[in-house]
Amino acid sequence: MKLEGSHQLEASRERVYQSLVNPEVLQRCIPGCERLERTGDNTFAATIRAGVGSIKGVFDGKVRLEDLREPEHFRMVVEGKGAAGFLKGSGNLDLEQDGDFTRVNYSGDVQVGGTIASVGQRMIQGTAKMMATQFFTCLGAEAKTEVGEPPPQHGFFRTALRWFSGWLKRFFRTGRG
Amino acid sequence: MIPAPFDYQAPATLEEAVTLLASDPDGAKVLAGGHSLIPAMKLRLAQPQLLVDIARIKSLSYIREEGDQILIGATTTHYQMESSELLQRICPLLSDCARSIGDVQVRNKGTIGGSIAHSDPAGDWPAAVLALDAELVLLGPNGERTENAGDFFVDLLTTSLMPGEILREIRIRKPSGRFGQAYQKVPHPASGFAVVGIAVHLALNDDGSCRSAAIGVTGVGTKAYRAQAVEAALAGTNLDDNTIASAVAHICDGIDPNADLYATGEYRCHLAQVHARRAIQAAKTKAQ
Amino acid sequence: MPDNYVGQRVKRTEDPRLIRGLAHYVDDIALPGTLHVAFVRSIYAHAKISNIDTSAAQTVPGVVAIYTGKDIAEKIGPVPCASALPELKVPDHRVLATNKVYFVGHPIAAVVATDRYAARDAVDLVMVDYEDLPVVTDVEEAAAGGPVIHENFSDNIAYKLTAGEGDIDAAFSAAERTVKQRILHRRLAPIAMEPRGVLARYFPGEEELTLWSSTQIPHLMRTQVALMIGIPENKLRVITPEVGGGFGSKLNVYAEEALLGWISMQLGKPVKWIETRRENIQATIHGRGQVGDIEVAFKNDGTITGLRYNVFADLGAYHQLLTPAIPTLTGLMLSGAYKIPAIQINITGCFTNKMATDAYRGAGRPEATYVVERALDLVAAELGVDPIEVRRKNFPKPEEFPFHTATGLDYDSGDYEAALDKAQQIAGYAQLREEQKKARAEGRLIGIGVSTYVEICALGPSQAMPAGGWESATVRIEPTGKVTILTGTSPHGQGQETSFAQIAADQLGVNLNDVTVIHGDTGVVQYGIGTFGSRATAVGGTAVYVAIQKLKEKANKIACHMLKTDASKVSFEGGKYSVQKAAAAAAGTSDPVVPVGEAPAGALPEPQTEGRSSLTIQEIALAAHIAKELPPDTEPGLSATYFFEPKNFTFPFGTHIAVVEVDRETGDIKFLRYVAVDDCGKVINPMLVDGQVHGGIVQSIGQALFEEVVYDEQGQLITGTLMDYALPRAAHIPEFELDRTETPSPVNPLGVKGVGEAGTIGATPAIVNAVVDALSPFGVRHLDMPIKPENVWRIINNDSRTV
Repeated sequence: MKLEGSHQLEASRERVYQSLVNPEVLQRCIPGCERLERTGDNTFAATIRAGVGSIKGVFDGKVRLEDLREPEHFRMVVEGKGAAGFLKGSGNLDLEQDGDFTRVNYSGDVQVGGTIASVGQRMIQGTAKMMATQFFTCLGAEAKTEVGEPPPQHGFFRTALRWFSGWLKRFFRTGRG
Repeated sequence: MIPAPFDYQAPATLEEAVTLLASDPDGAKVLAGGHSLIPAMKLRLAQPQLLVDIARIKSLSYIREEGDQILIGATTTHYQMESSELLQRICPLLSDCARSIGDVQVRNKGTIGGSIAHSDPAGDWPAAVLALDAELVLLGPNGERTENAGDFFVDLLTTSLMPGEILREIRIRKPSGRFGQAYQKVPHPASGFAVVGIAVHLALNDDGSCRSAAIGVTGVGTKAYRAQAVEAALAGTNLDDNTIASAVAHICDGIDPNADLYATGEYRCHLAQVHARRAIQAAKTKAQ
Repeated sequence: MPDNYVGQRVKRTEDPRLIRGLAHYVDDIALPGTLHVAFVRSIYAHAKISNIDTSAAQTVPGVVAIYTGKDIAEKIGPVPCASALPELKVPDHRVLATNKVYFVGHPIAAVVATDRYAARDAVDLVMVDYEDLPVVTDVEEAAAGGPVIHENFSDNIAYKLTAGEGDIDAAFSAAERTVKQRILHRRLAPIAMEPRGVLARYFPGEEELTLWSSTQIPHLMRTQVALMIGIPENKLRVITPEVGGGFGSKLNVYAEEALLGWISMQLGKPVKWIETRRENIQATIHGRGQVGDIEVAFKNDGTITGLRYNVFADLGAYHQLLTPAIPTLTGLMLSGAYKIPAIQINITGCFTNKMATDAYRGAGRPEATYVVERALDLVAAELGVDPIEVRRKNFPKPEEFPFHTATGLDYDSGDYEAALDKAQQIAGYAQLREEQKKARAEGRLIGIGVSTYVEICALGPSQAMPAGGWESATVRIEPTGKVTILTGTSPHGQGQETSFAQIAADQLGVNLNDVTVIHGDTGVVQYGIGTFGSRATAVGGTAVYVAIQKLKEKANKIACHMLKTDASKVSFEGGKYSVQKAAAAAAGTSDPVVPVGEAPAGALPEPQTEGRSSLTIQEIALAAHIAKELPPDTEPGLSATYFFEPKNFTFPFGTHIAVVEVDRETGDIKFLRYVAVDDCGKVINPMLVDGQVHGGIVQSIGQALFEEVVYDEQGQLITGTLMDYALPRAAHIPEFELDRTETPSPVNPLGVKGVGEAGTIGATPAIVNAVVDALSPFGVRHLDMPIKPENVWRIINNDSRTV
């Protein structure tokens, strides 16, 4: 499955880039990310509770950043598996400065296997788009804060994006489900 | 059907249901007709800890008039909607929409509230309640609030329902004056879900011109939406064929259309245009 | 032969139990202490299994045992393949994956627990580590040297086969014209309403294993499973209770069947597995799956002089029972209903990282009929003539039968013109073409599609079959006069309990309700082959018929003895042996109706035979069991067994005409008419024949317009449920206008041919031909199935992209 998109964030390219490769920011912004630990140079281990509505699953996986050319480009390689199946993918992220804004263009290929692949055709693309939107919306909020400022609380964008609220709350709480 | 383990409660009142939901806002799920949740549980893609079955709360199933509104209880089945003499008479869009859902077995079990709360991107009800500017009554631990249908559908399978809230009632202003409605749908050959579904409510002036048009679209985007550009292009016109044809060209404006094995995004938008045109024409005819 | 029941629309005697929910399928059989099995299946299409950790799964309460391929690979023999093709590569197909997985759904481990829920919960906790390997899903890529699936082979080509008669090269070099078309046959999932299921019970004391399985071939399965798990064949009993459809998918021996038997022997307890629908789509065989080029050489007057089909057959990762043989059936039927002097098929059968293909309703023949019937339309289009004209031009005449084809077959009997004439007349063909012209002038897109098919049924002579092509029957009249038929053709929805009873009731002159047909229990029924290839009536029914004649010979002998006369003076009619009138008068006997005599308690009532001029066959049966009044050297009892070996296949045929209209704006396809005239030889029960034709056409509509098993490039099966895999529904089906011609087969005494697959063979090309015809104003000559509205829309809008 091809994934492509573009998001405009209100921050400098350097700032956006720094946020994108910062595991703490990533953990806060990847929807459902419960754990993101550095395991080596540019490699991380993650636990993500991903999904939409009542449909969700826990994925354990690895994230690797490659081909880093600050502040314009890097490549992300992701691998995760859980009871609902597995996903594997890699994609390029390219950052363009546009006045006060930074445009992030991403394009990648994701392979999905297991139950989600065999029953989720109608929803996978939409879910991916939705998660990307959430991710970049969060990232935009993170990147806007000045260097040295404390990171924004989740409540910030929860309020800003009221329509995410029920969904996100469920993701940020622990417990099976 | 071999789901993951779960608990089951069938409260007698909605208030009890709300309390049960509040006891485990992460793990509890409301069960109504079960036609979306149960298949997901069967695949173990949904693994709720607790099912709160509201289908047995009798007082939640009704269709009645009250003042200038039609009130519909959340657990009213598609079949009840389809066969309601009241709806057929005063708001036929609702019974037409119901008739297009799934098959007889699905319509006998599935509920309007369940379908709206699930917000399936290809569900039929979201298009209809959007076109009718429905008000949705939500009951939660902090009491009741209402939400316009237009604000309710947030994204794929995502609504503005807060954890612990239950959709209790759908309220629709009784259509009045000169009006016409239609629901047009292309069902997916396997699932019966809408590849595209178009709900149209046209209000006409006495001279036959279009006072306002409301068009709900499902199946095309990640959530149902109102085709505002089409509505704007119709309002105030005399709804001649050329006007309708050029208006529906905007049916996908601002939407990144869904694609699946059956239909690419491009074809989906084409189908949406064709069926929007047909639905508008049908609604216009009914309004004569 | 009296015709009281045969030829009548007798209601199925099976139906009352089925429609009241009183029938017993495998899952309805509950044995105390039964354990339940659930499978861990691969989520990768091709991967090395680096580790399987069952420790968490073992802790689920109720889990009794977990078996993995490493534990048991060597203890159970390989899943059998019965096709013996020259130089066929046969991979070692173990019941559970050992080191590698080869397709999504490949069983990796079996979890046994005290209930289904525990077994399923534990499946989620079996941790399998995979190292994924390159995947090949496209059959042509597999043939061209994609990643090699089975390491012990040098490539993915399982076999290559060339067949046919006549000088094909000469035919093409001398051809006045030729056409060529690449044609796809997508993979289809058979989707029997009842998925597979197995219940196994081992009695350690008696050392007896009983397997209840939803299968079409209980005896063949008994033999194969006995060999796989090492139990004497006569200690294994296979029972097929009610079977809810198979369509060929249960003409197989599956890993799960042997494994369940073996597990029951290990644990000494009953074990059950009922396939889920998702497993059914992943791990029950698929049908079709070919891509090929059809080429036709013909004269300017439409005479076909040569036909060549180069085809790649997508076999999947392993061979199931008949996997490699299916494409060879395609080769056999490439002459269609036509005289074609030179025919050649070149098959390349390839391994891919998918579930195996095998027999699905028609099994190789629909592919042949489809390419031939599409090719005939291409010829007609090339010549600018009506497709019917080309067909008539190339039909063999009725007097040319038996008709030898360049595929090596001898068609038994046929009158192809008659069926075509009748279909044309019912459809009002000439008028339809007029209406089509008018509609086109108005901008409407109406299409008329014709298919004049021939199929090969009554499989078949043993010489042509991998494991015997005969069929068996035992017919017995019990002391009370009830008739019992034991047939080796174990049905799965065909209605043999009714049709065989009709044959027997007429032959024995008894009431239909007095006949019981028993099948599907190897502990009760003599060895038989099974129900597939439209063979049950023509081969199994004939066995019943001949067994009855044998039984009647003996009954006749007893009757003569009891009536104290000789065979020349006795006739059998209406269930009675009677002394002919003149002889009766001479002997001074009358013909009173004498009831069966009184008998002391506990003894059988003895028939009163003194002074009788006639005896019912029931009375003779009773006498045969009491055995006090038998002729010398006559064995007691009244029973006969016959094993019928057919000398040839049968060749049913017919004409299907579909009329469709295409929505110019959306590409949607709507049926306006559907006419089918089928000739399946003599008809035992027209209602059963109509039912078979209905179901077959419906499955054809599915293939033509909706169905397709889709694997993505990584081998993920993405049409994994019936939410995405589109089966035809009632709303998709037009009213069928059915009729018949009746050309008896000379191959069997009943004159029957078979009809189980006619609909799936005849209808698919008629439907596609109709849609192509509707779109011919756009220059369309061919469309691949399933014909999706989007593709039609693109064609109408002059857009060559297809999806």
